[in-house]
Amino acid sequence: MTDRRDPLLTVDGLSLSYQTRQGEVQAIRDVSFELARGSALGLVGESGCGKTSVANCLMRLLPDNARLSAGRVLLDGQDVLLLTEEEMRLRRWRRISMVFQAAMNVLDPVYRVGQQIIEAIETHGVESTDSAARERVARLFRMVGLDPQLMERYPHEFSGGMRQRAVIAMALSCDPDLMIADEPTTALDVIVQDRILRELKAIQQQLAMSIIYISHDIAVVAEVTDVVGVMYAGRLVEMGDTSDVFRAPAHPYTAALMSSFPSVSGERRSLTSLPGEPPNLSDPPQGCPFHPRCAYATDVCRTEYPPQARSGSHWAACWHPLDATLVPQS
Amino acid sequence: MVLTLFLIITFTFFLVQAQPGDYASFYVLNPDLPPEVKDEIRAAFGLDKPAWQQYVIHLKNTFTGNLGVSFGNFPRPVLDVLAERVPRTLVLFLTATAVSFYIGFFLGKAIAWRRGGLFEYAATISGAMLFTAFTPAFALMMIWVFAFRLGWFPVGKFLDPLVWRGADVSANYVFGNMLLSAAAFITFALLVMLCLKRFGRRVPSVAAVPIVLGGALVIMAAWALSGIGGLALDIVKHMVLPVATLTLISFAGTMLLTRNSMLETIREDYVMAARAKGLPDKQVRDRHAARNAMLPIVTSLVYSLIFAIDGSVIIESVFSWPGTGLTLLQAVRSEDLPLVMGAMLFIGMLSLLAHVIVDVLYVYLDPRIRYQ
Ligand SMILES: Nc1ncnc2c1ncn2[C@@H]1O[C@H](COP(=O)(O)OP(=O)(O)OP(=O)(O)O)[C@@H](O)[C@H]1O
Ligand code: SF4
Ligand SMILES: [Mg+2]
Repeated sequence: MTDRRDPLLTVDGLSLSYQTRQGEVQAIRDVSFELARGSALGLVGESGCGKTSVANCLMRLLPDNARLSAGRVLLDGQDVLLLTEEEMRLRRWRRISMVFQAAMNVLDPVYRVGQQIIEAIETHGVESTDSAARERVARLFRMVGLDPQLMERYPHEFSGGMRQRAVIAMALSCDPDLMIADEPTTALDVIVQDRILRELKAIQQQLAMSIIYISHDIAVVAEVTDVVGVMYAGRLVEMGDTSDVFRAPAHPYTAALMSSFPSVSGERRSLTSLPGEPPNLSDPPQGCPFHPRCAYATDVCRTEYPPQARSGSHWAACWHPLDATLVPQS
Repeated sequence: MVLTLFLIITFTFFLVQAQPGDYASFYVLNPDLPPEVKDEIRAAFGLDKPAWQQYVIHLKNTFTGNLGVSFGNFPRPVLDVLAERVPRTLVLFLTATAVSFYIGFFLGKAIAWRRGGLFEYAATISGAMLFTAFTPAFALMMIWVFAFRLGWFPVGKFLDPLVWRGADVSANYVFGNMLLSAAAFITFALLVMLCLKRFGRRVPSVAAVPIVLGGALVIMAAWALSGIGGLALDIVKHMVLPVATLTLISFAGTMLLTRNSMLETIREDYVMAARAKGLPDKQVRDRHAARNAMLPIVTSLVYSLIFAIDGSVIIESVFSWPGTGLTLLQAVRSEDLPLVMGAMLFIGMLSLLAHVIVDVLYVYLDPRIRYQ
């Protein structure tokens, strides 16, 4: 079957737009990356840069007004964008699961929390009996630090942190190969956020599961990922091993993001070092989309999209990378 | 509860008091009677006492279940008349409400789910037309089409005298037994569903259908063998048209409401999550989107029930259905004041009951209320 060294997930030239009354919003443009089995990938970027859209493409859960204009999403070498709806349905949660950004309302208010997890387990036939399914939920609850008795409760009886843990337990319930965590902790206070992050990291390593971590908070991503991708205006602008990118950011946007979060545990400053607004995605600027805000912009930046400058697996789409070891590929 | 009931009684009493004339004016105005007799009659009815004293007596009587004697159906007590009429109204409106709620909810969720189709367009527009239709005109139209032109159903009334000629049982006896059968059947169906839910989550709910149908067959067979099946069928035939009219009028409201409510819940995160979990499309729609969309509709159910009970005057008079509404109308016309007050009291009590039932239903459906 598949070689263990093959990537679990390959995203290749993905482009997505939304039809709106104001015109076509180009939410994702030519995004490509690979994800190895058992590794953790981070996607960072400002609000509206298209992170959630990428996640929704992988789950193939797109709103009616979305249009996929190009690209492939290979899961174990098979393009999920070509599957029938029924084939895709059987892979959701079983192969790829997701912790949603707005996790507060992800649990249906009228059912018991445990029942909502059992529902997924039964649909995918992960356990064959009722009691085995319940036992599995109890195990998951313990794993995410919840009392198993809470599975008989309703969502409104849970605090924000408890709900978040329950949603993570739900995402783990069918032993997925890949879990996407879209801003899994932003709605929580910093202490709870930190604990859940560390637990999630431990669980991911224990289960040898791949994870895609989405956040606008670069410090969070630094803590828990092996590889990081930086998104700007629907494009992936820099990617590399987390340690490389943080040690020597090559794209001016990455550098600006990092200077706005001075250290992993330090205080936050606002994005003062980064003036201006991200571009309007229905009418993106010519050339490098970052040029209106970039201190290093030159004429070529304004007219032509930059090629990748690369050093090993670390690359940045910039005409003038800050890290001189990155060599432009033509 | 008791307070509301008290208010209803008080209100009807003073409403009737405020009308010109009194209980006895019918006799009192008769010029042939000598004045002493007039006074005697007034005293016999307690009408020589001041209004507040009459009120206290009335209140006491009502709470002890004494609603007086109907003038128009002399000497039958009001309670007796109502005991005959109220079930007829209830059957009409409960059937219509249940059917219209079921169909409306079913169609509403279907059109919301496949939004933008031609089907949605047609259903929404015809729904809006039915919803805004003028009830009496629509009822007359139904009579004209189905009774007059097509001749499928009788024009109105409760039964056909030709069918009942020579029958040795009364209509009330047959109707009473029909009610009992219906109640037995509903209880049986509910029990079957409850058992299925309790004992096997893995048994598909379709398994209930043959069992419930079997129960229906047994009841029908019993009727056919009883010898009065033809009479029962006659009553059913008379019910079809008013029930259909009421259903058509009120299902549209439920359908449009369900559609709107569904369009809200479809956007909720838990519906997206249900789909992400890989649940089959139907399960996402029924168990999550529609289940939550039901909550605001149940609230509206109480209004549609009350509306239906109030509308009974119109529907029952158009179809000459001898229920509470028609009785009230006739009682008002013939100044049968005890009957007017009794009928109004019952209508008030029914609305009150509808409120309570919906409250209970809501608590059952929404766990967030249950724990407050
Ligand atoms: N259904 C939609 N219709 C139209 N535009 C949309 C839709 N969903 C997202 N967009 C637009 O697409 C762009 C990318 O949105 P997306 O939600 O992917 O960003 P994000 O990086 O996840 O942002 P955030 O950090 O705020 O969650 C935004 O400009 C957003 O306004
Ligand atoms: S390509 Fe030019 S404008 Fe874009 S980030 Fe690099 S230096 Fe700045
Ligand atoms: Mg997002």
